[in-house]
Amino acid sequence: MAGDERFKQEVLRLAGAEVLTCIQCGTCSASCPTAFLMNPSIRRLIKFCLEGKKEEALHNETLWLCTSCLLCTVRCPRGIRPKAVVSALKDMAEREGLRSKDAAYEQFFLKQIKDYGRIAELALTAEFLLVFPQGAVQSMQMGLELLPKGKIDLKIEKIKGRDEVKRIVEELSK
Amino acid sequence: MKLAYYPGCVSKSTGKEMDASTRAVCGALGIELEELDDWNCCGATHVSNELVAAGLAARNMAQTDLPIMTACSICYSNLRAAAQRLEEHETLEKVNAVLDKKYSGARIRHALDVILEALAENDERIVVPLKELKVAPYYGCLLTRPAGLYSPEFPIILEKLIKRLQAEPVDFRLMTICCGGPIFMPQEKAAEDIAFKILSEAKRAGAEVIVTVCPLCHLMLDAKQQVLEQKHGVRIGIPVLYVTQLAGIALGLGPEELGLDMNSVSPMVVVERMYARLSE
Repeated sequence: MAGDERFKQEVLRLAGAEVLTCIQCGTCSASCPTAFLMNPSIRRLIKFCLEGKKEEALHNETLWLCTSCLLCTVRCPRGIRPKAVVSALKDMAEREGLRSKDAAYEQFFLKQIKDYGRIAELALTAEFLLVFPQGAVQSMQMGLELLPKGKIDLKIEKIKGRDEVKRIVEELSK
Repeated sequence: MKLAYYPGCVSKSTGKEMDASTRAVCGALGIELEELDDWNCCGATHVSNELVAAGLAARNMAQTDLPIMTACSICYSNLRAAAQRLEEHETLEKVNAVLDKKYSGARIRHALDVILEALAENDERIVVPLKELKVAPYYGCLLTRPAGLYSPEFPIILEKLIKRLQAEPVDFRLMTICCGGPIFMPQEKAAEDIAFKILSEAKRAGAEVIVTVCPLCHLMLDAKQQVLEQKHGVRIGIPVLYVTQLAGIALGLGPEELGLDMNSVSPMVVVERMYARLSE
């Protein structure tokens, strides 16, 4: 069965046409600090993209285990940016309204940037935990550690150029 | 010297001591900082659309003609990556079409590099030499990536600064491995496992202090250290200092100016030892 060509082209548009030159050597997977948790691996994820296997490429936890450390990117012998492939897939998954706690976190993050221009960590955490309370224990532990140190700020900082920032996010994501 | 200063969002919350120590050290070294006007979030590692990320960075970079300094490796990496992408004409046009002030190039510097440049060998302003202090240089990922001034995997700039402060860098094998921080919120366990590995390696290497250049690395290794100790039933007890705090101690700045009371694992025992040695 022929793959989804439009999907493949969209990945190439977002992550760079050099993805086509992938030789499947696996340097990316071997470099990845969270590879041991990933299935499919980064290498296979790139293969899915080149084969136009949209479902397999978008619906997996691998995307959300990427820490954006860029080790794959500085090591790829073909000059491909595997992390950019992951970012492209995340972007597509979010645009398709894929529902997962990880996609939701990114959406809350972007919404704060749009609304305030900056991130207010406490508000972001609270918003996320209201919808996905699984991480509440860890967050509480962290909060108890940071609160007495004066490192949790209740105030939400809003910048003056919010309209401009909103325009950047909306216009450039088209 | 005058630089534009980009504090980044964490300077208002979990990285307050990073911000305080950056301002204090620059003040002590005669580096004038002018905070970027109305700066916005760089997107950290959570904006997947690269064009949007470039736009967010470009808005910040367009606010000044001065070189821009930040103490946060995530901001640093994002601004640098955006500056690289904005060299492409098409990207630049699209981004400038939505900006109020247009972007036309920028020079981005990390506080680490600025401090090292300002300090001479045996600089007389180093009034508290950190002699015999064993320091683990922890670069994390984003100071050196995407590839730029430093080797992405074998950088030496942090060791250089540690030595200039007369401390001893330990051989730290995981120095450029990610701390796990960016996925801490949705993927707690994976992130905690990685952070524990790094702390254990620092312990094995004999570090008395870990030095970081990123607020997320700092959060994972410092604020989470006690929880990780309890979870694994081992004692680590290694203070984690921002590079600006370490430099500030050597420059004789006080704990309050450097925000040392905001660190979870108190560095005060180490600081007091350095001062005690002065009167020996």
